[in-house]
Amino acid sequence: MTVLAIGLIVFGLFFLIVGSIGMLRLPNVFVRAHALSLTDSLGAVLVLAGLAVYQGLSMNFLKIMVVLILVYLLNPVISHATIRAAHRSGLRTSEGKTE
Amino acid sequence: MNTFFLFVLVTLVSLMVVYLYRVIRGPSVFDRVLGLNGISTKAIVLLVVIGTVFERVEMFVDISTGYALLNLVGALAIAKFLEERGAPQK
Amino acid sequence: MRIMGAILLFAFWLLLSDSFDPARVGAGAFFAGLVMWLQPARKTSTHKFSWLAALGYLPWLTGRILKSGLHVSRLILDPKLPISPRLIHHHTELDGDGELVVLGNSITLTPGTITVEVAPGELVVHAIDEASSVDLREGVLDAKIGRMFSRGAGT
Repeated sequence: MTVLAIGLIVFGLFFLIVGSIGMLRLPNVFVRAHALSLTDSLGAVLVLAGLAVYQGLSMNFLKIMVVLILVYLLNPVISHATIRAAHRSGLRTSEGKTE
Repeated sequence: MNTFFLFVLVTLVSLMVVYLYRVIRGPSVFDRVLGLNGISTKAIVLLVVIGTVFERVEMFVDISTGYALLNLVGALAIAKFLEERGAPQK
Repeated sequence: MRIMGAILLFAFWLLLSDSFDPARVGAGAFFAGLVMWLQPARKTSTHKFSWLAALGYLPWLTGRILKSGLHVSRLILDPKLPISPRLIHHHTELDGDGELVVLGNSITLTPGTITVEVAPGELVVHAIDEASSVDLREGVLDAKIGRMFSRGAGT
């Protein structure tokens, strides 16, 4: 059980680190939001899942699952709202390639 | 095992510094908002990890639930405000 | 519908309070009932939500998120940074509120694609490169979500 927990947490940390690198390297807001969604929906969720597994089957497991579900449901809403505001205030999506 | 969790804590905090750089530098105001969102996501995880280290998960999970909900309200308010008013011109 | 909501709220209360002495359980039951009683009546959706299909959908979505997460990680770590961001106008058959919420949330949750604008029948999606947008264009997501909300005679 502990091994599985450590595996999940390390895997999640990998995505968190990649997301941070993306935040530094990527050129504009719209693309950076993709890096953020990488940290949110994979990094944070995997680390939380690892912590939940480490607790074993108990009340704490369920409580951490509540936080996990909240992150899973609410973070897309936040990044959608931010990106929509950026789009509506007329910030250019780089390259301007549309199809 | 405690050493491992301390390692996770240090990694999370140093990643928050990266996002803080984006908040301070960020060319547009939306970069700053995105950076704040990244920081708060990591703060949620950080609180649960702290709870695991101190073996008081049940308490810290409540705090991080509250943090997640407050973060949602704050971020939506900022996004709505920027959408109505438009981004500040430099 | 309201009774269902009250039971869910009560379960959430029990989960968070983590104690079973009668005063707290009683307060939880009271507030769960009060909140659902104070809630204004919502217009009922004509689409029937199938929990079974939702249970099948979540693991599939998680696998898809993992796959595209690895793809986006490869893009970010590549020294040449081979991204080609684009906006896609995605036409969809779905028009119910619930369906659109699930579709938009799933798209944003998947690394590599973000919902920018939502309107019934059309979504504007920002994708980081060609490969991330392929899944969306094939309409697999729409079909799965459409199966989750079957068009029944209403609840």
